[in-house]
Amino acid sequence: MTNTVMNTVRKAVKNRKLQVLLGPVVAIVMFAGAVQMASLLMSGEYRSPARAPLETVDQTPRVAGLADEAEDAAAEAQTTLYEEAEYRTFPVVGSRVAIWVVAQLHLLFAAFVLAVPIFAFIIEVIGYKTGDPRYDKLAHEFTRLLSVSFSLTATLGAFLTFMLIILYPQFTNYLMSVFSFTFLPYVLLFFAEAFFLYTYYYGWGKFHPLVHLGLGLGLNLVGTGIMLIANAWLTFMTSPAGISESGAMISTWDAVNNFTWMPINIHRVIANVCFGGSIAAAYAAFKFLQAETDEERAHYDWMGYIGNFIAIIAFLPLPFAGYWLASEIYAYSQTLGLTMMGGAFSWLFIIQAVLIGSLFLAANYYLWLGMGRIQGNQSLQKYIKYLLIAIAACFMIWATPRSIIATVAELRAMGGATHPILGFLGVMSAKNTAVNILILTTFMSFILYRRTGKVATVQWAKTGYAVQLAIFAAAAIFVIFLGIYGYFVEASVRIGLSVPQVGSVLLAMVSIAVIDVFLFRKASTAEVHWGRIPAVSQYALIFIAVTFTWLMGLMGYVRSGLRQHWHVYGVIRDNSVDAFTPTLGFATQVVSVAVLIFFVLIGVVFWITGLHDRPDRALAPAPQRETHTGGQVVLGGAATAHQTSAATEMRGVSAQDIEGRTKLS
Amino acid sequence: MTVPVVAKIGALVLVTTGFYTYIGQLVPQNEVQPPEEIAISADITTAEMVEIGREIATGKGLCMTCHTIGQTGALRFPDLSGVAGRATTRVPGMSAVEYFAQSLYEPDSYIVEGFSPGMPVINVPPIGLTDEEILAVIAYLQSLGGTPTVTLQTAHTYYTPENAEPPAEEVAPGDAPPAAAPPTPGIAPDAPPAQEATP
Repeated sequence: MTNTVMNTVRKAVKNRKLQVLLGPVVAIVMFAGAVQMASLLMSGEYRSPARAPLETVDQTPRVAGLADEAEDAAAEAQTTLYEEAEYRTFPVVGSRVAIWVVAQLHLLFAAFVLAVPIFAFIIEVIGYKTGDPRYDKLAHEFTRLLSVSFSLTATLGAFLTFMLIILYPQFTNYLMSVFSFTFLPYVLLFFAEAFFLYTYYYGWGKFHPLVHLGLGLGLNLVGTGIMLIANAWLTFMTSPAGISESGAMISTWDAVNNFTWMPINIHRVIANVCFGGSIAAAYAAFKFLQAETDEERAHYDWMGYIGNFIAIIAFLPLPFAGYWLASEIYAYSQTLGLTMMGGAFSWLFIIQAVLIGSLFLAANYYLWLGMGRIQGNQSLQKYIKYLLIAIAACFMIWATPRSIIATVAELRAMGGATHPILGFLGVMSAKNTAVNILILTTFMSFILYRRTGKVATVQWAKTGYAVQLAIFAAAAIFVIFLGIYGYFVEASVRIGLSVPQVGSVLLAMVSIAVIDVFLFRKASTAEVHWGRIPAVSQYALIFIAVTFTWLMGLMGYVRSGLRQHWHVYGVIRDNSVDAFTPTLGFATQVVSVAVLIFFVLIGVVFWITGLHDRPDRALAPAPQRETHTGGQVVLGGAATAHQTSAATEMRGVSAQDIEGRTKLS
Repeated sequence: MTVPVVAKIGALVLVTTGFYTYIGQLVPQNEVQPPEEIAISADITTAEMVEIGREIATGKGLCMTCHTIGQTGALRFPDLSGVAGRATTRVPGMSAVEYFAQSLYEPDSYIVEGFSPGMPVINVPPIGLTDEEILAVIAYLQSLGGTPTVTLQTAHTYYTPENAEPPAEEVAPGDAPPAAAPPTPGIAPDAPPAQEATP
């Protein structure tokens, strides 16, 4: 008997499951015991073992003494005067990094929530005009990502507001006093945004199409209004206007319509569409990689293509909007402009060049891989190597720094900080030229993709091709000519050359696109096998999304960090411990942390959105036991069939729909 | 072993952000501190003012963000090498001290040929140098190709210190004396002296 008990205990002690279960219990019991013991010891009166002389011992009973002390402390607290704190500190990482990360996350989600309705609305309009239900279903699927993202945006916005009030009370108070008139409209617009967003999403298929489109339009208008108000706050910090030298309000409209407000508005709308398109494409890539059927792969390949198409098309004019913003910064303050491009932040633009070069390479790579899903692609693929060479060359020029990081010996060998050859490529004349050629090349890459598998049937086809080629060549030669000319003229003239460079590229893109539309209007087209694309293409889409997100973080930093030791440039000085401008290395680390947190959160959004596709547990039949049928293992077939059909029904699009599609969008 | 798609995507996100973070560590790492207040004692010598002025020009004053010293070619703003000599001849009849003072207090009044306006007013935020600090910067500018004469008691159109002393005039050889200087076109005879600007 004793042996049996002992054996049982011995086995129990060796049982790992029991150890895991009992371990926390034992720890809790030990912790509670320690707390109990400490309470017991503390509750007793202290008795000196040495017995001090009676005259030196405070005769006041301990409890009474403690009460007196508490009373004194309360009385002292009552006499304390109210004093508004200028700053408070956030533990561990400090106030600036805390605000930085939260603001960045809020802006990323806000950009997504503002962008998706723009292209969802446009896709829905296309579906309405063409009568093709696939577009309507695609627009609906894009908006499915909105619901959870909207909640996260609002939560992060509230978090950011509280953090500002707590950590930077005086500065926040000042901003609130200047922009007090904007807060009520902002809140009202936010309510309207929630109304339009949820009726737009939940009302899909429940209203007349035009009414539903009206809701989509309302959603976009209200969203843009919210962005315009928020942009007024942040641009005022960089280029304050409408106030006196002491910061007192003179003109509210001037405060809103400051130098950088409209350039930021335009830049943000375009960048938001880029970013939203890339994240939606990443969602499609995620679903593609997890797809189990050809139908799903076909659908998500198409969705990813559309998302990426939106991102890249919006990305092409973005550098031009960036030029305008930079020129307005210069117009407001040459010092601010030079700090950005030639001072503390000049090296940041080398990092930016690496990011944008990576984006262009990945976007072109995806397009080239996409040619494989179209029959008859061989004739145009031979041009890809030339495009790749052009893109790589432009990338290298754009990423060339003016001053080389070198050792003393290397500097001596070069004869200065500037390399005798590379130094010439590190100036704006060369870089402006490189980025314009890069945009032009990517556009041509898309044109090649677009015409893959198509044969123009119009009589003037050859002339059309020749004219397109001539326009492309003329634009490229003109851009390069102006780039070289820029080396020989004064700075004031050189800065102005970027306008005709940009203008010629835009003109070339528009005219080539218009000719292309007419050229292939009645073209015979090859079949597009959606879903037949290497999996690596989907990782390229995810890479593009990460790079866009990181780029937004980096450019957000330069926009905000440009003020250096000012909360409001030239008006409210930063007197906190974080008033210094950190190194670019540190900034990139913070950006990376924000990006990683964003992707964790967007992963949650994808997961929650994906729950929508799953069958209702209450409706699904109970899983059947495994049954051997002729040597094959069949799992709960009914459930699987239900799941597949539910997923297909949800998407409302079949593989036949997509496979049968013969026209590229 | 099949690696789950989520793990592959997670690895891609990590590697991509890691790559860009690494690029961020490759570029020069400069931490820019807010400008420190420079104490200028009342009994400071001209030589000491030149040194303080140099510190201000390269630091708090942000002068070297735009201007250069010893560079040629297609510059965005005038090079300051030898500016003391040019300052006496920019506007006939105007001393170097007055010219420099106006360049700092009213930079858009006179634009050097071939350049565009753009210099900020130096005595108001965001730069916001004090009158004493501006005197130190003028002393430094005088040292660039000339002999500094400025002290804390030097007065000019924009600032008259207590115990002010008249500025030591420097006129380039061959220039007409101030009294004989012809009136600047567009300026009435009884208007304040023709104001120049950017060095």
